[in-house]
Amino acid sequence: MSNDAKIRIICVGNRYRPEDSAGPMVYDQLVSERLPENIIVIDGGLAGLNLLRFIQGADRVIFIDAVNCFRPSGGVIILNAADASRNSETLFGHGAGLSYCLRVLPEVHEGKLPEIFVVGIEGTTGPDKILTAAEMSLKIATQGSP
Amino acid sequence: MNNPRTKIITAPLNRVEGDLEIRVRIEDDRVAEAWSVGVMFRGIENMLKNRGPLDGLVITPRICGICSTAHLTAAAKALDAISGAEVPSNAIIVRNIALMAEHIQSDMRHGFLMYTADFVNSAYSRQSLYDEAVKRYEPFKGRTVIDVIKHTKEILETIAIFGGQWPHSSYMVPGGIASKPNMNDIMQCKYLIDKFASWYEKRILGCSLQRWLKVQNGAELDAWLDENESHYNSELGFYIRYARDIGLDKIGQGHANFISFGQLDLPESSKVMGRNPNSHFLIPAGFARNTEIEPFDQQKIFEHVAFSWYTDSNGGQHPISGETNPYATGEESEKYSWTKAPRYNGTPAETGPLAEMVISQHPLFTDLVNTVGSSAFVRELARLTRPAELIPAMQQWILELNPQEKFYAHSPNITDGEGFGLTQASRGALGHWVTISDKKIKNYQIITPTAWNGSPRDTDSIRGPWEEALIHTPLKDTENPVEIGHVIRSFDPCLVCAVHAIQGKMENRWKI
Repeated sequence: MSNDAKIRIICVGNRYRPEDSAGPMVYDQLVSERLPENIIVIDGGLAGLNLLRFIQGADRVIFIDAVNCFRPSGGVIILNAADASRNSETLFGHGAGLSYCLRVLPEVHEGKLPEIFVVGIEGTTGPDKILTAAEMSLKIATQGSP
Repeated sequence: MNNPRTKIITAPLNRVEGDLEIRVRIEDDRVAEAWSVGVMFRGIENMLKNRGPLDGLVITPRICGICSTAHLTAAAKALDAISGAEVPSNAIIVRNIALMAEHIQSDMRHGFLMYTADFVNSAYSRQSLYDEAVKRYEPFKGRTVIDVIKHTKEILETIAIFGGQWPHSSYMVPGGIASKPNMNDIMQCKYLIDKFASWYEKRILGCSLQRWLKVQNGAELDAWLDENESHYNSELGFYIRYARDIGLDKIGQGHANFISFGQLDLPESSKVMGRNPNSHFLIPAGFARNTEIEPFDQQKIFEHVAFSWYTDSNGGQHPISGETNPYATGEESEKYSWTKAPRYNGTPAETGPLAEMVISQHPLFTDLVNTVGSSAFVRELARLTRPAELIPAMQQWILELNPQEKFYAHSPNITDGEGFGLTQASRGALGHWVTISDKKIKNYQIITPTAWNGSPRDTDSIRGPWEEALIHTPLKDTENPVEIGHVIRSFDPCLVCAVHAIQGKMENRWKI
């Protein structure tokens, strides 16, 4: 990964588990497109706490991940770091994911915190949602807060 | 359940790789019986069948977000064996450094983010050291917690530099590695290793690596602790004091059988040497009953499924001919886990850093196991000090890399055949057994460290390692059985631990 890009889109999840595959599917969509040079797309996989290294040195970071219980009717939503980490695990475990990472971020980040957004995909994943999430993440990446 | 002093506690334990549950029967405030229940079937082994021979390099690192380098190592070594590829020294060193980077970050995070999180349990609020423990280990705030997160995120950069991608890198291939690090890459990695080493010495040990490595037995460990304030107040010093204070040296012994598959091949002409001069690994392979070590032979590994939800095999199967045929109809009577039960020469064995220390004949841990026995305290002490065994080799190997030499030797085509790749993941012995037929994967069997440590009973109804380690564990408060968490976590089982007790129709839930 190049740490030079100041705007990073980080797709999180497990492509081998359908209920957690939304992030990797958006990753596949984004890397098939021609993106502005100052934006990099990262396959964050199951990195959990190790996502911290992708945040260092960025001005703006957009995470894409499957979410639960934010929009019961399903769809694509945008969360800030506080909302996304509000219900994170209190104790660290190997299951600790993006929410734990975002909660501990202010304590461990070196330098100015980047803008953080989470594009959450709720409910069954389909092509429309993947395209919507990809478009929304690119729009935030280029224009900032929606 | 008529005895008022008897009750059953079930602990659902979640993890990346799947889910586990620990069920215990308590009699007279002690654990009288224990069952380790794997509650999730994943089917990775079956998913690999009929795919191309190289697909294991891509799929198996995704088994676990924590130890993906170990799975990649095992997958690559299995294909090295099948293809007959000879791996150049440069590639051996890169593979080793990446695996060691994964280990040392995992050891620190497990120790100070997971294991010591139990030290601030309310059960210990009256301990004299409790307030200091809170300052160090409180989730999200403790100064040790924050410091460990900061410093462990950097060391993993080495894998990203060598692999070009992290996590879930697939740069190890039969015959070496796919990347070709230049001198700038190597110097970057050297800087990261040296920086981690400096922090580990200052914060974790409170002394130099050389001083720590002079500790040869239990008496010298006590002398080291009291030698000066730097030792006494270091993270290791505080761990020793607090763990003994709450009695972790008296619980969690287990079978005292240990297994290591061996790891970190020694390249030709390297100045790095392991503790065992006869081993071609830095950390040797072996099996030990207490500290009596036997030569390791992978042919003696068999997986049993008598108590696992798979179709029965007569007495267990060697993994090269192993099968993963789920069988859970609700009518299987005594079966209770999706985890198989690996056994070595018919015997359960624990694996992990303590097993590595024992089989390496590390003098301190040999003495501790011989004199006071293994325990939750000793098991975690081995994990917290394992980086001291690895860092000097990392610092030497990074200097031995030569960017002018090969990192990949053209390997023959992967022909039909059988092979296995054995290594040590951060939590212990990891093996991939692979059969290739008609240029496709015919069979792929994986035995993970948690399968060893968290196995259910075998064909002879012998408990698995952490089932055994729980027996006789005293519980001061059965409503807050934090001692169960200490014992299970000392094996580093990748678990988020929550316990609920079932008493008839009542169900109580609490965290440990």
